[in-house]
Amino acid sequence: MNKIIMDDSMVGNTAVSALAISNLDFWYGTNHALKNISLDFPLRQVTGMIGPSGCGKSTLLRVLNRMYDLYPGQRATGQVLFDGRNILSPGVDVNVLRSRIGMVFQKPTPFPMSIYDNIAFGVHLHERISRADLDQRVESVLRRVALWNEVKDRLNTSAAALSGGQQQRLCIARTIATRPEVILLDEPTSALDPISTARIEELLDELKQEFSIAIVTHNLQQAARCADRVAFFYMGELVEVDTADRMFTAPQAKRTQDYITGRFG
Amino acid sequence: MMELPSTLTARDGTALDRNAHGQYGDIIFGMIARLAGWSILLVMAGIVIVLVRGGWSAFSTFGPAFITSTAWNPISHNFGAATSIFGTLATTVVALAFAVPFAFGVAFWLVELAPATLARFIETAVQLLAAVPSIIFGMWGFFIVVPFMAHYVEPVLTHYLGHVPGIGLLFHGAPYGTGLLSGGLILAIMVTPFICSVMTDVFVSIPAVLKESAFGLGATRWEVMRKIVLPWSRQAVMGGIMLGTGRALGETMAVTFVIGNSNHLGWSLFAPGNTIASLIALEFPESAAGSLKLSALLALGAILMVISFITLACSRIFLRRGIPG
Amino acid sequence: MSVQKTSPAVGDGWQRGGAQAVRRRVVERLVSVLCYVATMVVLFLLFSILWTLVVRGGAGLSLSTFIHSTAAPGSGGGLANAIMGSCEQTGLAALIGTPVGMMIGIYLSEFDQDGRIVSLVRFVSDMLLSVPSILVGLFIYLIVVEPAGHFSGMAGTLALAVLFVPIVVRTTEDMLRLVPRAMREAAYALGAPGWRVILSICLRSARGGIMTGVLLALARISGETAPLLFTSLGNLNWSTSLNEPMASLPVTIYQYAGSAYDDWVRLAWTGALLITVAVLATNIVARWWLMRNGSAQQ
Repeated sequence: MNKIIMDDSMVGNTAVSALAISNLDFWYGTNHALKNISLDFPLRQVTGMIGPSGCGKSTLLRVLNRMYDLYPGQRATGQVLFDGRNILSPGVDVNVLRSRIGMVFQKPTPFPMSIYDNIAFGVHLHERISRADLDQRVESVLRRVALWNEVKDRLNTSAAALSGGQQQRLCIARTIATRPEVILLDEPTSALDPISTARIEELLDELKQEFSIAIVTHNLQQAARCADRVAFFYMGELVEVDTADRMFTAPQAKRTQDYITGRFG
Repeated sequence: MMELPSTLTARDGTALDRNAHGQYGDIIFGMIARLAGWSILLVMAGIVIVLVRGGWSAFSTFGPAFITSTAWNPISHNFGAATSIFGTLATTVVALAFAVPFAFGVAFWLVELAPATLARFIETAVQLLAAVPSIIFGMWGFFIVVPFMAHYVEPVLTHYLGHVPGIGLLFHGAPYGTGLLSGGLILAIMVTPFICSVMTDVFVSIPAVLKESAFGLGATRWEVMRKIVLPWSRQAVMGGIMLGTGRALGETMAVTFVIGNSNHLGWSLFAPGNTIASLIALEFPESAAGSLKLSALLALGAILMVISFITLACSRIFLRRGIPG
Repeated sequence: MSVQKTSPAVGDGWQRGGAQAVRRRVVERLVSVLCYVATMVVLFLLFSILWTLVVRGGAGLSLSTFIHSTAAPGSGGGLANAIMGSCEQTGLAALIGTPVGMMIGIYLSEFDQDGRIVSLVRFVSDMLLSVPSILVGLFIYLIVVEPAGHFSGMAGTLALAVLFVPIVVRTTEDMLRLVPRAMREAAYALGAPGWRVILSICLRSARGGIMTGVLLALARISGETAPLLFTSLGNLNWSTSLNEPMASLPVTIYQYAGSAYDDWVRLAWTGALLITVAVLATNIVARWWLMRNGSAQQ
């Protein structure tokens, strides 16, 4: 069995980790999709997750906000520490968890309502907030994602009328409106054109000043550009974790090397 | 980077512990949804129970002979189901005999022969025909079709086919205009748009590549339909036909006007008769509560329930398996 | 089959096939003609029905039809109470049936975990969709009218509601299933509880299609006669009370059409025209609305 190769400063130190995974296993029915994963997500950094299709990176992401709860037959064992609690335990309120660990999906999914209501939806779920404060919150998040100037005159129009790139930025705005601590992104730009992709990558650079970010991507260049640390997965196992620089210039495991140099996809 | 207003910085972690309060919404919602689901089961069960219970005294008085007896005599309190069951089945058979080929003809035309814009227009027209309430068909049938049948169609049929051995029996009798044939024809017109819709839906859902490979070999449109499309869509087409059958069996208003309301069972299509639904509609107002006659009508209702239930269940099996995707 | 010549003249290749090809072309032509004929017959019948309605129904149509209630033959009545009664009963049935139908549709679409019961409910709903409407009338008669001892508009409303619900159930379930999984997950990911996801997001997304279903169901029950025969019975006078027998357009048409009085028959045609116009107009509006809004999302 290959040793998991990790950088020294990363192991199990919750003082600098937003999320700390230990010995996580995951099953789709009888299919053992994640095998004994242990990984930390450092506070206020971008952690990229890469690997070929079916390696389990998206599966892992969906464990972190208990999204798999929706589907009977999917289960996880092990420990994921967040704010001192194991989020996999049944005593945890999943809805509160999801307000603190947000998720952005591959396909932009604006709700069938106005731009303003899209953002207000998540806020109303968890907070009692005055109209004035809500207006201010909506404006702040829209400014944050560089969408304010484009939509400020049509906040009450349908969000479905926005372009793909704008919709995805709206989804990010919607997610940060609930003031989470962690943001999970599942291939957020794979459905977008290059210009929108570049804008969102710039956005990530700013967002990490305040949020801890985990991003799944099949685009290695994107991981190199955006991530501080990168974790490489293969067939449900975590093969190697390292800083982005070292991972892409001098990966230590052979499998990592093969993937990065394009030997297999 | 600009200074963020304090409301946007990450807030202090809200306690992650699950509390009962948050779960109430889902529990209550689930209860309401389940209650709603169960209510429809109750209604169905209720219909079956009241019909069977109401018809019980008829069943127990006459026994199994109820189904084979052609009597219907309110004075001697002798009732039998055979005439109306026969009428129901006969009108439905006549209806299908006309509806299926016509529905197919229109469906084939819509899918293969018609220019695109015209096809959409005609398809809407056919669907509108399906939306016309049955009492309209009944009135139109009584005032327009019945005289037409009496003056033109029935005399002609009697003249040419009345003496042919075998099928001549079907065309005997005075041309009243009402009767099994007229009832069947009105039902046919009502049921055709239904069957046509199902056929059209399934004909357009066939993967184009299947048809194209046949056309590519030089097949004509009819040959493609007969050898490729119909076999492929056989189950769905069967399902659609059975759905139409189910409708025809239970149709009341369209048939009541033209069936002639007579307790007569015979071979002639021209003779007036009865269907279960029309008999109930006509005789119910004159039935005293708790009487044997009412019980007989309810027993007939139960029989109709069983017949249409079987037909609809079969159609569902065919349709769910038949339309792919 | 023709023998291959050593130097075929231009166009010879298209003569291939001989008698068989001719027969196939003839059959194809024949079938096409038959299909054209079938379509024209069906269209002609639709036209005949509409024409008869317009001509005969239009003849008796006047302001008095809407102002006066039904009256004895020869004293110039109208259809006002019947129109009112129909509006009242179908409107109330829709009011009762829409939330019930939507709730059942939600149950079928979102509660798959209940397993066999969900399949059973779906099956029963489909059965009720096509059940002979006269049996529903008998059912309500036995459980409402007989115990109460009298016919009532409420009984008529309930019978119509029973016919209304399965249509809304089917539409709601179909439309909810079209809501993309990603949109649901996005709502859950914000921390929304299940019922919020369904009510605020899924229903909202399926809104257009469900409205269409409600409209089509409304059109369907407004033309129903049989379920009202034994429940609201009909009323010769003006009455809006649900606790008394109530007039309705289809039942009045039924009574008038079969009568021997000319003016009653004329009114029956007028009533038939009114119902048909209302039903067809509702259908057209519903379909146009559906086309405009697409299927699921707006």
